[in-house]
Amino acid sequence: MEKVAREYVVGTVEEFPVGSHKVVKVDNREIGVFNVNGEFYALPNLCPHQVGPLCQGKVSGTLVANKDTDWKRTWDREGEIVYCPWHRLEFDIKTGDCLAFPDIKIRSYNVKVEEGQIKVW
Amino acid sequence: MSKRDSLSDIVIVDLDVHVNDTPTELAPYMDMPWRKSLEHVSNVPWRYLSIPGYSPNFAENLPLWPGGNDRLTVETPAQMKKELSDMNIDIGILFPDHLLGVAVLPQKDYASALTRAYNAYIVDKWCDKEQGLKGLIMVAPQDPEGGAKEIEKYANEEGIVGIYLPCSGLDTLWGHVKYDPIFAAAEAAGLPVLLHAATTLVPHFPFNLHQYETFFAQHSLVHSFSMMANMLKMIETGVPVRFPKLKICFTEAGVSWVPFIMMRLDKEYVENRRDIPFLEHPPSHYIKKFYYATQPIEEPENAKHLIQLMEMYEGENTTMFASDWPHHDFDHPRKVFNMPFSPEVKRKIMGENALRFFDIDATGRRNKFKVGSTAK
Ligand code: FES
Repeated sequence: MEKVAREYVVGTVEEFPVGSHKVVKVDNREIGVFNVNGEFYALPNLCPHQVGPLCQGKVSGTLVANKDTDWKRTWDREGEIVYCPWHRLEFDIKTGDCLAFPDIKIRSYNVKVEEGQIKVW
Repeated sequence: MSKRDSLSDIVIVDLDVHVNDTPTELAPYMDMPWRKSLEHVSNVPWRYLSIPGYSPNFAENLPLWPGGNDRLTVETPAQMKKELSDMNIDIGILFPDHLLGVAVLPQKDYASALTRAYNAYIVDKWCDKEQGLKGLIMVAPQDPEGGAKEIEKYANEEGIVGIYLPCSGLDTLWGHVKYDPIFAAAEAAGLPVLLHAATTLVPHFPFNLHQYETFFAQHSLVHSFSMMANMLKMIETGVPVRFPKLKICFTEAGVSWVPFIMMRLDKEYVENRRDIPFLEHPPSHYIKKFYYATQPIEEPENAKHLIQLMEMYEGENTTMFASDWPHHDFDHPRKVFNMPFSPEVKRKIMGENALRFFDIDATGRRNKFKVGSTAK
């Protein structure tokens, strides 16, 4: 998998309050940067389904139902799921996993915070 | 080697043959006061799979033409055995004939009593009366709790190998949570369930069927639409996830609808996964694990197209031969056997898959009853 060659500063911590996300340009790539409860994550702004602008979608939670919930639908993972704005495929911001199709996982970029600056590579 | 010799070389299990379950036959097994009703309708003249007050199909209004199919019936185990043996069929799975239509009956108690009578009758008169004749316990959709009790009652009956879920004229589709007791009982008994439809003209089933004005049209889509509707309901409520050990078979609908519904549901899943969050995989994953009976097998001009259709749902381990004997649209085993499958796949489809599905040996004996068996 191709990687962004070097670290890029994509903004300051102040620009990404908890629960926010935005798409930044790094060279000719668009990368979605997310602040999930104080942890930063970065995903390509490119949905593997039909190349929709994934990271421009809403961040929300999702519905979960399984044996533990007695098969009842429960709301879970608030703030951890990004919805593609085109056909609403859901992705786990922390892992890049596609919730609908377990075989699909998108790459994650590395992110770190240094001296108030958010760096992606 | 002739084709006939080849057929007799392998085990052939026929997923779908029909016994003539007339009111006269069932009356002695029927609880009172319903027995009186069956005795009363015993002498009512009837048309194909349609007896007023017993098995109405509401389809009597079309013109009849000479030269149509004669109505064939199978009256005794000996007759069934002979007719199946003549086609090299080793094991036949018995379905009712008239009671295919039980789901349309509005009286819960009556419908439930009919299924109890049928179950007692099939065990007493048919199952294992000739080698390889195996029965199914039928349940009334009108009475899920009663159905579950019937399954428990017959769970250890040697001649019973599965549960028949009636689909003709069904309103509340299989998969609705009200049927959970039936699925739970079947899973606990280690008995698979088989869905089976027939032509019945009621507006809710299965999409505007009553608008067609020929039997050609009524009969063309009824079975496949019914199977699709029920399958979708089962996926919608997570039946394959909630009852992971339950084996489910869709019968009498051919197989070409399977790739369609599989791709259609996966497409919809892209947008609406969270409506059905209990699924751990896309719908196709579960559809590939369901089982399918072949009849009425599609007969495309290029037989390879059938093979390709089956490859789409990875059906070599889940597709099972069925004849539908003695119905007008039955398939001779030769038709399926002569499709351009590999010899290995042929053996699977003609018999081996069914042995695994029912967990029986080549004589029809349930593996759990074998001496020393530790099977569930
Ligand atoms: S492009 Fe993202 S869901 Fe279709």
